[in-house]
Amino acid sequence: MADSSYLEELENKSIYIIREAYWEYGNRLAILWSMGKDSTVLVHLIRKAFFGKVPVPFVHIDTTFKFKEIYEFRDKYTKEWGLDLIIAKNIPALQENISAQTGRFNCCHALKTEALKQEIEKRGFKALFLAIRRDEHAIRAKERYFSQRDKEFRWDYQNQPLELWSGYYKTSVQDGAHIRVHPLLHWREIDVWRYIQRERLPVVGLYFAKKNKRYRSIGCACCCQPIESKADTVKKVIKEIENTRISERSGRAQDKEKEYMMQKLRSLGYM
Amino acid sequence: MELKKYLKVVLAGDVDAGKSTLIGRFLYESGSLSDGAMEEIERVCQGLSSEFEFAYLLDSFEEERQGQLTIDTTQSFCRGKRGKQLIFIDVPGHQELLKNMICGSSYAEIAILVVDANKSIQAQTKRHLFVLEFLGVDQIIVAVNKMDAVDYKEDVFEAITKEINAFSAIVGIKPGYFIPLSAKNGENMFKRSKKMPWYEGLPLAERLDSSFKKRAIQDFRFSIQDVYELNNKKVAVGEIISGKIKPGQTVNILPLNKTARVKKINVFNKKKSKAVARESIGLTLDDMSGLCRGQIICKSSLPKVTQEVLTRIICVRPLDIKEKMIFKCATQEAAVCLKQITGARDIATLEPRSTGTATGQNDVIEALLITDTPIVVEKNKGFNGLGRFVLKVNSEICAVGIIL
Repeated sequence: MADSSYLEELENKSIYIIREAYWEYGNRLAILWSMGKDSTVLVHLIRKAFFGKVPVPFVHIDTTFKFKEIYEFRDKYTKEWGLDLIIAKNIPALQENISAQTGRFNCCHALKTEALKQEIEKRGFKALFLAIRRDEHAIRAKERYFSQRDKEFRWDYQNQPLELWSGYYKTSVQDGAHIRVHPLLHWREIDVWRYIQRERLPVVGLYFAKKNKRYRSIGCACCCQPIESKADTVKKVIKEIENTRISERSGRAQDKEKEYMMQKLRSLGYM
Repeated sequence: MELKKYLKVVLAGDVDAGKSTLIGRFLYESGSLSDGAMEEIERVCQGLSSEFEFAYLLDSFEEERQGQLTIDTTQSFCRGKRGKQLIFIDVPGHQELLKNMICGSSYAEIAILVVDANKSIQAQTKRHLFVLEFLGVDQIIVAVNKMDAVDYKEDVFEAITKEINAFSAIVGIKPGYFIPLSAKNGENMFKRSKKMPWYEGLPLAERLDSSFKKRAIQDFRFSIQDVYELNNKKVAVGEIISGKIKPGQTVNILPLNKTARVKKINVFNKKKSKAVARESIGLTLDDMSGLCRGQIICKSSLPKVTQEVLTRIICVRPLDIKEKMIFKCATQEAAVCLKQITGARDIATLEPRSTGTATGQNDVIEALLITDTPIVVEKNKGFNGLGRFVLKVNSEICAVGIIL
């Protein structure tokens, strides 16, 4: 069993950031929950930060193309944990039959980014918690804990504000803009799994091997590829990640269509 | 397996000293890179018709790769030897990007100062040394890079060592180690270089594996973030800045100026009989009246409650004495004005500069601050949480300071 004191350090820092954000934005704050392992850890940290009574809503951006296991997991734990869940869909785009077949860039942009934009406008959110991590992608490694997106969701990555000591941020929001708060920024994939083990958290079954294949990163069924794996328990997944050289998002199509696709998607407001 | 805490290492130094290349090479040699990352860089380099560039592993923005410079700070994780977990913090070298350098460095425990063996010490190197000392990052390894370009000559290395030691003495720090290396060719990175037999010290990877001393434990300080209601009971949540606490102990609350007893340490779904520095917890005291964000719960020798403090400040952008500013220290905030700017210096040369009622960007000044409400502070010793602060204008951090 791994020594867990370093996980406590990660956890404490995240809880501090969560409470700072709540102080700053109160009920104008929401949590993006994709039911993936990272945002499920985030849900757990948020429940800890508020001693089990979460005062802000959870938002699921539903492209309608998610795996069925994801929907089952969502419905089960929304109930069990007593979460206030909002389901956000870009209905006009879905009516136009936008999908990965009509172009991945447009699909991600319309069904995720635009769907979120509509929800933010509708509810007047000023800030969102997102479970992104630095080690996922070199672009995400450049993020701040508090990161503004303007009205058009643009990220001014060439002029990011100064942050210090993981306790001092720029928190103000321009009109129409919102702040993305990233409490898991300093976690790695392996930390997330060790924490899931330590806290005995449930995760979607797709992460575990069936017939020698498992998903390392989950999202829409059409754009995720499983990896070769025999890891069918949390313990085996940890062991596998400790020894692998394959990157976590290698099965995610939108990261690799072209160089800088992630940067371009993100500069338009993608997560 | 016992997992050690992450050792956070910032790479400082001049433009083109090879900071990003050094990290890229380290990630590669330690086997910390994914296959996908190497392939992506190969594709990008082919597209730009350039040789394989380790720096692109860190410089992920299109603008950074085309412009061959680091714009913003980034962090990468690395497997070290013997269960060591390293985080490399890359920071930009350019003067106008100093705020991104400060951002990255503030997370660091130790620093590698990368200098170019081809050049004498540049202004940026001096500026970074100063910032590192200011931020309390006093464990410094100097990597004299690009030794391949000077035929691995000992006298070049010696001259640079001397030059850096001379400037460090002015700033008031002493680099622990000097290592001659070539990041590009992997000399003295993981293995002792055969090209520099005159160097008797350890290669860089071994140096990063040695343990560094921890900062001394201090008195109990807890900065209230918020007060929550939990089953009709109030709980003050926040982070323990330093020291430790147990139920039953008597504490002081400042600037409220009263004492109370700790009834309970609150965490979700667990009983807790003590808590220590860096933990985010909730505290229930026997008397919760008047407790709110910005109050400091403390014990033992008490910090100072004042409205006047003498400080040293790095101005990330120009400051005007007439500007409305907010002083922020832990969760305390107060409107503040700058009075008596003394001893303004150029951050790189440390030469005095004359200032009137305004400071320049990247000036370091000493100033008397007057706040409109009492604040709880203490002298900056060992970089404690109540000894450091920021100044904000329109919620953006524009200066970083320490209490003198």
